[in-house]
Amino acid sequence: MGPVMVGPSSSHTAGTARLGRVAREILDDDPVFVRFVLHPPLAATYRGHGSDFALVGGSIGLNVDDPRIPEAIRIAEQMGVEIEFAEEDMGEVHPNTVRVEIRSRSRSVQIAGSSIGGGVIDVFNINGFSAHFKGDSPTLLLFYRDRPGMISEITGIIADEGINIASLACSRKQRGKDAFMQIDVDSPMSKEALAHICATPDVAEAKYLDRIP
Amino acid sequence: MIDSFKKLGELAQGRDLADVFLESDAREHGVPAEQIIEALTKRRQVMRDCIERGKGGGTSMGKLVGNEAKLLNEAFLAGKTFLDPLTVKAELYALSVMGENSRMGVIVAAPTAGAGGVVPGMLLALEEERNVDPAKTVRALVVAGGVGSIVALSAHISGAAGGCQNEVGVATAMGAAAVAYMMDGTPQQSISAAALALKNTLGLVCDPVGGLVEVPCVKRNALFAVHGLTAAQLALAGVESVIPMDEVVEAMVRIGRALPRGLKETAEGGLATTATGCAIGDRLKDEANQRRAQRAEERERLAHERKAGVAS
Ligand code: SF4
Repeated sequence: MGPVMVGPSSSHTAGTARLGRVAREILDDDPVFVRFVLHPPLAATYRGHGSDFALVGGSIGLNVDDPRIPEAIRIAEQMGVEIEFAEEDMGEVHPNTVRVEIRSRSRSVQIAGSSIGGGVIDVFNINGFSAHFKGDSPTLLLFYRDRPGMISEITGIIADEGINIASLACSRKQRGKDAFMQIDVDSPMSKEALAHICATPDVAEAKYLDRIP
Repeated sequence: MIDSFKKLGELAQGRDLADVFLESDAREHGVPAEQIIEALTKRRQVMRDCIERGKGGGTSMGKLVGNEAKLLNEAFLAGKTFLDPLTVKAELYALSVMGENSRMGVIVAAPTAGAGGVVPGMLLALEEERNVDPAKTVRALVVAGGVGSIVALSAHISGAAGGCQNEVGVATAMGAAAVAYMMDGTPQQSISAAALALKNTLGLVCDPVGGLVEVPCVKRNALFAVHGLTAAQLALAGVESVIPMDEVVEAMVRIGRALPRGLKETAEGGLATTATGCAIGDRLKDEANQRRAQRAEERERLAHERKAGVAS
């Protein structure tokens, strides 16, 4: 069974709300500006399906079953969040694909993902790194400077916590340069472990996301 | 992992179909059965509440639909319907859910929101009319969800990916299997019911007028709820699908690929491009533009006020 949600379309409201929410969670700060770049098939249908409300709702932290979603754009405006919609052909991707560019006063995050039906999402790009994030399990996102031994250090900390790693994937822009690691874990992670990971040399940023509701 | 209906049939032989799905979830995802039952008990209640609200009618966001459930309910209460109560209620409940959906009300995606009326329509009408224990309905939701998840392994469940067969078609198959289960059918009969239901929705295109999940979606859910009941009836009588369910799903995926883009949720074909469909689409676009202009004005006003506030 799919999620309990606000209508009218699971791809267009539940999934898109979750995509907005992923961006908001990674930003982890109050947004002041959000730009939604829609792949053409989604751009053709998003308004009728309420995706505009849903995307905005998710990006200001509302859940998919929040009855305030139909009011999300107004709420965002009251919160002082500037919203923009644009269209861009992203090539061979799922029809319902969107890129979310979100900014707070001090930080910015960019994700691209598809809403593939029934509220299921696939975030395939985070800040320019390729990813495979579905938001259905606790996940650690790590931005760091690539160097030998990094992976084993991080996984060591997680293992010490007694947490099982369900999957791990890395991607980087260039050897020895910026890199990204996505670690899906089986059980929630403690604040201490996260602090420990953040303090690891060459880790620029660690974001821990729980399941995205 | 239960990755095909063939495997499901083998595993489930002589067993309770819901138990088979629950055990598999517990084994693979570590979710205990009680937790799933609890979550689905809540889903059933959301469906019930949504049906009650939906019977009252109202106007949809695009103002194209909304009062279908109210009209049918009035006719039913006045004794003016000619079909048997089970059929009428299946239609009525599906319409109620879809009415709520079109007003951005809270619903359960089953498996999607656009097809969210089919399963509750069938299951909750059956529960009432045949005095099924609500706990059994909850277990039937396990079956429906299980069937949907096997289909989802090989097909995207969305109109954009493969047309309405992927949404309402799959929902109908899920509901048919669940109904066969509620009527104490064997697991094989549930699988046959799903196959019969899905086979006869193949090729169904997604052509929503103005891009809204309103026309034809709302009434389509009601009519396919009935379609699913009849598929379950055949299966329970021992009728089998000549083409096995796994192959029906394969056919659906191939047909979905072959469908032109205009018939996959883009509102660029089918009913959406009839004379009436186009006229409605144009009107909706105008209204959206007006709303946007209003919002821009509002924004400017707010900015102005803020500035004035700072100045004073
Ligand atoms: S026609 Fe399209 S939008 Fe309407 S229910 Fe079917 S798949 Fe969903």
